[in-house]
Amino acid sequence: MLSSDQILQMLRTAFAELFEIEPARITAATRLNEDLEIDSIDAVDLIDRVRRVIGKKVTPEDFRTVRTVGDLVQAIERLAKG
Amino acid sequence: MLKSISYCWRLLATALCFAVFGLLGLVSGLVVFPLMRLVPGNLATHRRRVRAVFRFGMRLFLEFMRAVGVLTYEFRDTSRLGRPGQMILANHPSLIDVVFLLAFTPQPLCIVKAAMWRNPFTRWPVMAAGFVSNESTFDMVEQTAAALAEGQSVIIFPEGTRTTPGQALQFHRGAANIAVKAARVVTPVFIRCDPTTLAKNMPWYRIPPRRVRFTLRVGTDIEMDEFRTAPPPKASRVLNEHLLRVFAEELRSGGRPAQEHCSRRGLSFS
Repeated sequence: MLSSDQILQMLRTAFAELFEIEPARITAATRLNEDLEIDSIDAVDLIDRVRRVIGKKVTPEDFRTVRTVGDLVQAIERLAKG
Repeated sequence: MLKSISYCWRLLATALCFAVFGLLGLVSGLVVFPLMRLVPGNLATHRRRVRAVFRFGMRLFLEFMRAVGVLTYEFRDTSRLGRPGQMILANHPSLIDVVFLLAFTPQPLCIVKAAMWRNPFTRWPVMAAGFVSNESTFDMVEQTAAALAEGQSVIIFPEGTRTTPGQALQFHRGAANIAVKAARVVTPVFIRCDPTTLAKNMPWYRIPPRRVRFTLRVGTDIEMDEFRTAPPPKASRVLNEHLLRVFAEELRSGGRPAQEHCSRRGLSFS
């Protein structure tokens, strides 16, 4: 079972590796699009990473309402549980 | 006088070409392809047959347009199109660019805009041929990468829509992203059309003052290894910049760039 902190940590690593974004910039309130300039193509790579980490099938639908890193953590928590 | 006769004929012929295209779309989509489904064979075999017929139909339509005098064309090095896992990238100056690529690529898979699934003349053919829609970025990337990995050849217009005449070329990063993930080889195709015809926001009846000449050239394959050293988000950005440079250079050089020849004089004849 992944905790929120573990998920946030995983995302920090993912953002650093995929997008070269400093881990310190990743907080729950960080907005993906406005602050980190994650576009729809980046989202595909991010979803791909999430899928591999939690080992479950995920679709863009699962992240439709995600706007911030905090939203993303919650969505991943839900998916990992479900 | 002669000029206006030529103009009127080409206007009529252009209308005829649109009608023929629509008819081909309906007949193939509603009659030919469904009948072909009755021939024994699995779905993959059926799709191969559909794409072969598709290609033949596009070639026929192309020669029809040439025969009625709306265009002339030259397409060099077409034998390099249709290799396994090949991603074919082309600029998009006119509505009919895709006709050339589909007519000369064996077994093409084409990424087409979502509106084609809602247009009655195109929806059944694109479905039968198993083309991929750009509606959902996620599905487009996944499906296209999978197709390339299994050895299909894919045609993409990285601009995502037709070139806006007079504006700098812009590529969406989707094509580059798919390329770094799954393309075995990336091949640019440079399309020029002179004078500009059927460009973005140009109605079909605004035909150019003279017959259109299309010149298509298959460029040198792009070596992919150097773009695969970074993760896809970065690699695709680097590749996208490289692709833009390759296309901008080619379309600027060699005389007349297609985009700058947008003729609005057509109307003065009417």
